[in-house]
Amino acid sequence: MRQEEPTNEVEPEVAEVEDIDTLKQALAEAKKRAEANLANWQRAQADFINYKRRSEQEMAEVGKFANTTLMLTLLPILDDLERALTSTPPQMAKLDWVDGIRLIERKLRASLEAQGLSQIRALGKPFDPNFHEAVRQDKGKDGIVIEELQKGYMLHDRVIRPTMVVVGNGEEEEEKEE
Amino acid sequence: MAKVIGIDLGTTFSAVAVMEAGEPVIIPNAEGGRITPSVVAISKNGERLTGQVAKRQAITNSENTIFSIKRLMGRKFNEPTVEDDRKLLPFKITKAANGDAKVVMGDKEYSPPEISAMILQKLKMDAEAYLGQKVTEAVITVPAYFNDSQRQATKDAGKIAGLEVLRIINEPTAASLAYGLDKKVEETIAVYDLGGGTFDISILELGEGTFQVKSTNGDTHLGGDDFDQRIMDWLCNEFKKDQGIDLRQDRMALQRLKEAAEKAKGELSTIQQTEVNLPFITADASGPKHLSITLTRAKLEQLVMDLVEKSLGPCRQALADAEKTAAQIDEVVLVGGQTRMPLVQEKVQQLFGKEPNKGVNPDEVVAIGAAIQAGVLKGEVKDVLLLDVTPLTLGIETLGGVATPLIPRNTTIPTAKSQIFSTAADNQPSVEIHVLQGERPMATDNRTLGRFMLDGILPAPRGVPQIEVSFDIDANGIISVKAHDKGTGKEQKITITASSGLSKEEVERMQREAEAHAADDAKRREEVETRNAADTLAYTAEKTLREHKEKIPSDLNQEVESKVQAVRSTLQGTDINAIRQAMQELNEAMQKVGAAIYQQQPPPGGEAPPGGEPPPGKEGVEEGTVEGEFREV
Repeated sequence: MRQEEPTNEVEPEVAEVEDIDTLKQALAEAKKRAEANLANWQRAQADFINYKRRSEQEMAEVGKFANTTLMLTLLPILDDLERALTSTPPQMAKLDWVDGIRLIERKLRASLEAQGLSQIRALGKPFDPNFHEAVRQDKGKDGIVIEELQKGYMLHDRVIRPTMVVVGNGEEEEEKEE
Repeated sequence: MAKVIGIDLGTTFSAVAVMEAGEPVIIPNAEGGRITPSVVAISKNGERLTGQVAKRQAITNSENTIFSIKRLMGRKFNEPTVEDDRKLLPFKITKAANGDAKVVMGDKEYSPPEISAMILQKLKMDAEAYLGQKVTEAVITVPAYFNDSQRQATKDAGKIAGLEVLRIINEPTAASLAYGLDKKVEETIAVYDLGGGTFDISILELGEGTFQVKSTNGDTHLGGDDFDQRIMDWLCNEFKKDQGIDLRQDRMALQRLKEAAEKAKGELSTIQQTEVNLPFITADASGPKHLSITLTRAKLEQLVMDLVEKSLGPCRQALADAEKTAAQIDEVVLVGGQTRMPLVQEKVQQLFGKEPNKGVNPDEVVAIGAAIQAGVLKGEVKDVLLLDVTPLTLGIETLGGVATPLIPRNTTIPTAKSQIFSTAADNQPSVEIHVLQGERPMATDNRTLGRFMLDGILPAPRGVPQIEVSFDIDANGIISVKAHDKGTGKEQKITITASSGLSKEEVERMQREAEAHAADDAKRREEVETRNAADTLAYTAEKTLREHKEKIPSDLNQEVESKVQAVRSTLQGTDINAIRQAMQELNEAMQKVGAAIYQQQPPPGGEAPPGGEPPPGKEGVEEGTVEGEFREV
């Protein structure tokens, strides 16, 4: 295609012989400009195609993970509710009223799970930094999660909050085995 | 076309950005974060970890987790700063044969560039995943105070990671680029960088597009983390005063406090007070204890005032070293997350006597600047087609003097748009295309760009002819407007070159006016729309009477006729409520007409009037049919 351009653009009758050098120069410049324009056009087109590809990808992700921020603000409240229920005073534990609160907690959890939330089960498993964040080490089986300080959660297949864990340092275990 | 990425290789965090369609964008990492911790580790089973994952396992594997490697880049083992760092850093630092400092990870020695390369490799991989193409070239930033061997070490790190480092640029220079300060002529710029753990101040001089560092200063152990610690300490003290329990002894409580302190700090940058609410934070024999404390911005500022003031000493020193007074500083640039705090901005403004540049995310501004530099090196920034936008809305005048927009303001040009319009009266022979520019809803308040007639329209009831109006703006802002009668094929056009004849001030004035008159304009537009609707209703009613004469009882016929007259006479006046009232009455009468026609018998399809008119007497007749019709001429 590029070869056709010069024949189309230059009008030989108009050109005087003495101007042939000027014309050649003008042609060279025009060619150069055309190439630069083509390069920029290709670049813009490539940018656009990439942008389109990525925005399609992002649209799909956005749908799936749109709730991440909301989930992250709700998780501490779920934590608090659990804390409240696990420390119910013994004299109150049998009250129907407490059972009601328990049901509310279960409902909240079920609603969030229906939106793709799932809890990371860490306790007793080998420590894995892809899912867990080590807060400290303590006596216990080496490299095994011995305590969960804060529950971790995934939204679909993405970790939105790693479990805060205590990892065993191998001390206790050796004593037991000996 | 291969992309060049810009990398901010930071002490605690790194970020990567790239130019796309002439704009710098931050590339998120595989985990979805916009910044990546500068941490590398070898796990106990020999796996190499980088970034967030390496950070999460640091506590279990502290001797094999390397962070703050930037502090060791290009340094000799015997340098005093390295000796200091050896006391602070938990991993082992050794001496290489040439005297360089090295680190030990997983029983193997690594040079600092090798460790940095692992971070760069992660950023490179994330960038490749994002861009969908190989990345082989980069611009990397370093602190202004880095010496030649530190810069060389950074370059080496790039090479090891498989990146050709096109240029090493100073972090304050990158930040200035991100604010476009290189486009100014000659200036002196102060870059105030308060990050998570370090503080840097740099004075730069800009001349002929190049930046020269005049002086630098700072504090290697002052940053946002210190601010968080102050908040935590205060919360612990308050709780102890209140409940008598020291939370510092409770690791789990401390973890929650740390998160709450960071959150409160962030919130207080935009609001005046926040509640730190941590129920069941701990328990004693008497039962559970809750922490609920209100922290105001004023209190926070009191807690950290000395930290902020501590940063001002190095600023003054840097000014003195550069032989400048505060008044000689033309621009101030803020870098680092902690500069979001209003108190920091205020103190910086006080010291330099001018408002700092902000607006670019201070965590990302250095990477953004690096990407811009990368774009400049590739000729991308210069050559990229600068596409303009239309500063004001373009449209045409339609029935009742309404300005109907076709191309809204801020549309990127070149662009084209067309819409079908019709006539406003029966047998209307011509239409006038009145091309308008402006934001106001009424034609008379906008600027006339041009007008022309399209005639030879065949006699037809109003609303039947189809006139296609097309707008086309080329890259130079030249507008051509074409009207095309789909029935006859007749066409008229106009080309307007004066579209950009407005100065920036005029455009701004027109935009301001549109805002100022928004409420009035909406009212006027509603009036016109009511009038148009009333006119259409009267027209439809008359047409219905004509077409179904034999089916309508004569008393009803008379009633409708008188109500049509009532509508028409209110249209002569200016009382909009009277028009609405008359319309309401006519509508009710028309419903009776509809009922009368249907009672007789439903009209067979063949008898329906031509032109696809909606069945008469139905509700909703007044709406929709007028929109887009031309004013009668």
